[in-house]
Amino acid sequence: MKLAFHSDTVKHSLSAHAAIGLLAGALLYLVCLSGTVLVLYEEWQRIEQPAAPEMDSIAPAAVQRAVEKVLASEAGETPTTHLYVHMPVAELPRATVTTDHQAVHVDADGDPVMPEENLWSEFLYALHYRLNLPTLVGITLVGALGALMVALALSGVLAHPRIFRDAFRLRARQTGGVALADWHNRLSVWSLPFSLAIAVTGAVIGLASISAYAMAQGRYGGDVERVYAPLFGEEPAEDPAPAPIPDVAAALDHMQANHPGISVTYAILHDPGTEGQHVQIVGAHPGRLIFGEYYAFDAQGNFRGTAGLADGALGQQAAASTYNLHFGNYGGLPVKLAYMIFGLALTAICATGTYIWLGKRRRRGHEEPRLLGAWHGVVWGAPAALVLTLLARALLGNEAPFTAIFWLAQLAAIAAGVLAAAPARGRTTATPSTSS
Amino acid sequence: MGEGLPLLPLAALSGMAGVAVLRLAWHRARRSPGLNALGWTLLVLAAILGGAAQGAWGVAVASLFAMALAFLLLAFAAGSSPPGKGRASNRRVAMLPEAGEPRRIGRRVATFLIVVAGGLLASIALGVALRAGAVAAGWSEANANAAALFAVPIAWGVLAFVLLMQERRRAQLLTLLGCAVPLLPFLITGAW
Repeated sequence: MKLAFHSDTVKHSLSAHAAIGLLAGALLYLVCLSGTVLVLYEEWQRIEQPAAPEMDSIAPAAVQRAVEKVLASEAGETPTTHLYVHMPVAELPRATVTTDHQAVHVDADGDPVMPEENLWSEFLYALHYRLNLPTLVGITLVGALGALMVALALSGVLAHPRIFRDAFRLRARQTGGVALADWHNRLSVWSLPFSLAIAVTGAVIGLASISAYAMAQGRYGGDVERVYAPLFGEEPAEDPAPAPIPDVAAALDHMQANHPGISVTYAILHDPGTEGQHVQIVGAHPGRLIFGEYYAFDAQGNFRGTAGLADGALGQQAAASTYNLHFGNYGGLPVKLAYMIFGLALTAICATGTYIWLGKRRRRGHEEPRLLGAWHGVVWGAPAALVLTLLARALLGNEAPFTAIFWLAQLAAIAAGVLAAAPARGRTTATPSTSS
Repeated sequence: MGEGLPLLPLAALSGMAGVAVLRLAWHRARRSPGLNALGWTLLVLAAILGGAAQGAWGVAVASLFAMALAFLLLAFAAGSSPPGKGRASNRRVAMLPEAGEPRRIGRRVATFLIVVAGGLLASIALGVALRAGAVAAGWSEANANAAALFAVPIAWGVLAFVLLMQERRRAQLLTLLGCAVPLLPFLITGAW
């Protein structure tokens, strides 16, 4: 049996594919490129601050000491609403305490040693997550790009009737646009499961804010937090009356005694120093896609239950799996390297798509050197701009204006591409192809 | 984790074997339905074995092995490709007007608004309706909310594609309206 689509379907699919690709191509390219580099998020942080204290593990009593010391250092300031202790794990063997006011690395004894300095990694994260735009706008835009990637995958498969039959045919040394088209199509086919997983999870993460907002308008009376509560657990009621600092060590002792196979990644204190305070421990489960399970404790370190991310409703497990599946941190360095290779392929697919379209136009007699120059500026300018920010990190330090450097360099590269192009001749009279 | 381990290598092997068989099948001068079926079956089997071994994690890991082998085969194809002159497809995609054609700016802006803004609104309507319907059908709140959060972006992606495939405005608007209809009963009864 031969599966074949009507020629009109193929033609319209190709038009749809091109329309979406050209609409979103540059931003998709930036998101794919930054995502590929961001796979090594933890490793970049280690490179940024090599002198930070590292350790295989930290004792519960040392964590308690770190929490008390950091909170004591903030006496007189507005009390922090949350305190996060990043626990040393294989990818990032550092203990770091983060509050609303500061982030400090602590040593194995729990003594604060130095402030955390990872602003380049944070810039990269913001570039991928929200294109350095304000959070809601940026994350929604990136989520929209994920949805468009789904549309690109669908239209790409339908637009190429021989896409599977030719899946191993890569005429890399053929001229006339053949090699470019082959690279685009072959990489697209074989990275399809990866692309769809990345696209869907990215779109879910990115569009969750507006989706949840819409859902909240009905049954939840506009309260967005109530949309997430069935998935990730509810926040207990606040009580601002002063109280002693919670017993984090007892909670961590409980984890060691009762869940020795679980790797604790975070200890989170909610409203520390108040009567309403409580402790959450995030435990990573080996061999699972979920980012972890929330283990809830009261201020005395008594275990209160789990949120159900590991063994609760399917929806909870699915929601908790989107992050790791998207970022590739579910199997150590080998999976990260695989994600980098496939991410690079996805980036190349974005780049070649527009080149293919420009090539077709050129072969039909439309020379567009400025447009081509601008696309060169996007494709080569973005990695160059990223390298420039990395150089700025090395030469100017943690406080360098990475966002401004990146976007100015990117714009300069596009401008240079346009200016370097031969003067536009407009529509030429080259012989149109007969196969169009 | 231990009890799932024996199946996981099998899943990875099955995925890679599937890719290898498809390479064999698609390289032949004549179509081979048997080899095609075997290749796809092995790929499906890889997903099943991966799932049986370690759930979603196993499926993800097994698929990475299959994709990695495919990329290796592609690298080989690229390296062994003979140089030559070719002629790429020149199928027109009608994104920009040809010489003498009108620019149709208004039409293009309308298409953009229908696909992007209309598509998003219709997808949200579908997602909210799905959530309300799931709750009415007895699903847990967690499953219903997660289903909606996943449905919105997937629906938007599919809708963007469908809308762009439709040539007539009427068909596009009917598609958008059709996506909004499931929400109406819940809006009317207030059960959303």
